[in-house]
Amino acid sequence: MLTYSLKRLAQLFVTVLGVVTLVFFTMRMIPGDPISAMAGDNLAGAALDKMREQMGLTEPLLLQYLHYLGGLAVLDFGNTVTTRLPIIQLILDALPVTVSIALGTIFLTVLIAIPLGTLAAYMAHKGHRMLDNAITGVAMVLDLMPSFWTSLVCLLIFSLALGWFPASGTVNIDDPVQMLRRVALPVLVLSMAQIATMARITRTSVLEVLSEDYVRTARSMGWSELRVLFRHALKNAALPIVTVIGLSFGNLLNGTVIVEFIFTLPGIGNLLVGGINSRDYQMVQTLILFYALIFVVINFATDLVYRLFDPRVQF
Amino acid sequence: MSERQLNRIRGREVGTIFQDPMSSLDPVMRIADQMVPPIMRHLQMNQETARAEAIGWLDRVGIPDAGRRIDAYPFEMSGGMRQRVMIAMALSCRPKLLIADEPTTALDVTIQAQIVELLRELTVETGAAMIFITHDLGLVARFAHKVGVMYAGKLVEFGPVKDIFAHPCHPYTQSLLDTIPPVNQPERRKLTQIPGFPPDMKLPLVGCAFKDRCAAAHEHCFKDTPELSARGPGHRAACFLPEGLGEARHSDAETIPPMVRNSDDRVVVEVFNLHKHFVGRSLTPWRKPPTVRAVNGISLNIREGETLGIVGESGCGKSTVARLLLGLDPVTSGDIYVDGMAQMVFQDPSSSFNPKMTLFDIIQEPLVVTGWGNRAARAERVNELLSQVGLDESYAQRYPSQLSGGQKQRVAIARALAIKPSVVVADEPTSALDVSVRAQIINLMVDLKRQLRVSFVFISHDLLTVSYISDKIAVMYLGEVVEYGPADEIFRHPSHPYTQALIAAVPVPDPVAEEARVKNPLSGELPSPLNLPPGCAFASRCPKATDYCRAEKPILQAYSGTREAACHYAN
Repeated sequence: MLTYSLKRLAQLFVTVLGVVTLVFFTMRMIPGDPISAMAGDNLAGAALDKMREQMGLTEPLLLQYLHYLGGLAVLDFGNTVTTRLPIIQLILDALPVTVSIALGTIFLTVLIAIPLGTLAAYMAHKGHRMLDNAITGVAMVLDLMPSFWTSLVCLLIFSLALGWFPASGTVNIDDPVQMLRRVALPVLVLSMAQIATMARITRTSVLEVLSEDYVRTARSMGWSELRVLFRHALKNAALPIVTVIGLSFGNLLNGTVIVEFIFTLPGIGNLLVGGINSRDYQMVQTLILFYALIFVVINFATDLVYRLFDPRVQF
Repeated sequence: MSERQLNRIRGREVGTIFQDPMSSLDPVMRIADQMVPPIMRHLQMNQETARAEAIGWLDRVGIPDAGRRIDAYPFEMSGGMRQRVMIAMALSCRPKLLIADEPTTALDVTIQAQIVELLRELTVETGAAMIFITHDLGLVARFAHKVGVMYAGKLVEFGPVKDIFAHPCHPYTQSLLDTIPPVNQPERRKLTQIPGFPPDMKLPLVGCAFKDRCAAAHEHCFKDTPELSARGPGHRAACFLPEGLGEARHSDAETIPPMVRNSDDRVVVEVFNLHKHFVGRSLTPWRKPPTVRAVNGISLNIREGETLGIVGESGCGKSTVARLLLGLDPVTSGDIYVDGMAQMVFQDPSSSFNPKMTLFDIIQEPLVVTGWGNRAARAERVNELLSQVGLDESYAQRYPSQLSGGQKQRVAIARALAIKPSVVVADEPTSALDVSVRAQIINLMVDLKRQLRVSFVFISHDLLTVSYISDKIAVMYLGEVVEYGPADEIFRHPSHPYTQALIAAVPVPDPVAEEARVKNPLSGELPSPLNLPPGCAFASRCPKATDYCRAEKPILQAYSGTREAACHYAN
């Protein structure tokens, strides 16, 4: 276990370094820099060059890169270009919004997709194709709808027509009810796509387990179908489902960028969009670093959860 | 009956033991979590008494340290142990009927003997009746009281075990009994083959289901379906003829003339002091990596046209020897000399072919690889090979999926023979086949070795088959040969305690002989080849073992002139 953790830590280091390097250089390949993005057409060339020099943007690229790494080593993530605020503070302020969307989505997805997928598998196993087909069909339709489109539809229905949830407005972390009302629609939108994938994986996985020998053994001991399904089948089918949940975090990080933008939520997705628009190198680099960290940590957590469901998994 | 009513019977009234212990227990649940709740439910016990009950059962089926092992997961146990757990589970709610569906097919022969003995004891003790489903007639003879023979979804014969074996009345039962290699027979006869295949169950059956494969079938059999009718006290059979095959039964059993051999036949395979160690990966560089010592110094030789049988439990290194003979794995030390080419026939014919290749391409592949002849010559050779293994030339353009298991194994043999090898290594070639098909493949191999004077290495855990087909036998235990010599002699008068135990464990398809045999199956299981004991490897399971055995390793030495045995107390 200890060797395993150390190995994963080394992996984390390599991954993060790779990501950071890649982002550093690609950002600088995009035409324009923070100064030109900030200035627009207003300022003359000489003044801009002076600002660039102040920010160290005229130094050789490699030197800038080493400077950046040096800063990272002492956990100095720098300030934003425009407002000169510490980036880390902005991210920490925005993080709760994004995290609540992501966790809410996972929660809602698991709550709906796993029973649905299990039901579909059970029906398919028993030869009732009707319900199985219906569930898989609906899942497929949900999967096919892009989230930017479902976002707009949800806004139209739930905010404009029914008025249940606000379409925009401030978010206050200290007011859970208001927070919940603001993140409800984004969570719904993101869940739709996730539910489809997860329900299908659950269905396949449970269906496969239902024809295993040990399920027959459980039946031969006189257990009811419900117990067979939940005690034996679902636990054995859990591994692929856990894998998908872990992977779906990656998709979610993408998804939050879109829904935060559409629903004007002050999460880190919006920070990222703003950072790219203003060519705020430091901001984008730090955010991507955060995304990479989250991703690696989730992967590690997934591996630990494996052990929970399957005692055969050894580290 | 409703599902709810059925669930009250399942487990409580009827306990079931399934075929494959490796897959029949829930892999992610502890033994306790699988065993205790059914006892609580069916016998209305509370958690503690049910757990105590479960531990008691585990103890009775011979799980050492049951109180602790009950909290183990199935993957922490060997196949034999898991089957014991299955038995404990099936009996734990004190059912009146126990259904055992091929409970020992997936197990080694010595473990099979242990499990069968255990089942017999427990059913006598608890008074439960047992339905034992098997294809192994030896096991039936060993402990059934009554036998039902099924064919194409119907009972074709039913009666007391001694009657069935002494006077089988249905042609199918008769043929089935004749497909087994006989135990004691001075001259070797060809095994009976049941021609054709079971009927397609998707189509409606007209007349007797067995008519197409029956030598005694007549007009009546094609029109009407015979019903079970009395043949003796409690003995019934579904055949129009009172005697079944009658005189036709042994008509095709031609005798096999003994091989003519002389001592100056050339030696085609010579193995000297062969070692193979698989070195694992150690987690930390300073620790010694785990080493599996699969083969530990074996020496063998095979002459032209001779068949060497290698027997032993799984994990004894048989298959490793086969792979080494073919050069599929590098040897750790020792010498292998093969005069000519070596080829292999694998256990599972379905998975050893590329499903996208025609049989023609499969058989000619070794020829192409070795650059043998031109296209026309190869085509001719393929046809010749097909006819040698008893397949029609039209098969050449078929795909493996269009063949039955037996036909596939014929193709595997044809492919092995393509480049005219001097030795063919067959690793469990009949284990994946049905009994009646098995006889066909064995007969084919016996014919081929006579006609082509090709040598065979026949690796199997099935002692009856090995002793039938082989001229010489090497008995392996934990990577060593413990007994080596002429097949007949070893089978009749085994000298090494392990060989004796192996032969005692093989059920003989004769209930009268089975009754007379002493049954004290070998206890314990194969030790791990990771850390071998310093003395005799078999000492931990040997009834004769002394401190001398545990300290001093016996070497393979001449015993009674014609053979060798590695035991201090061989007799």
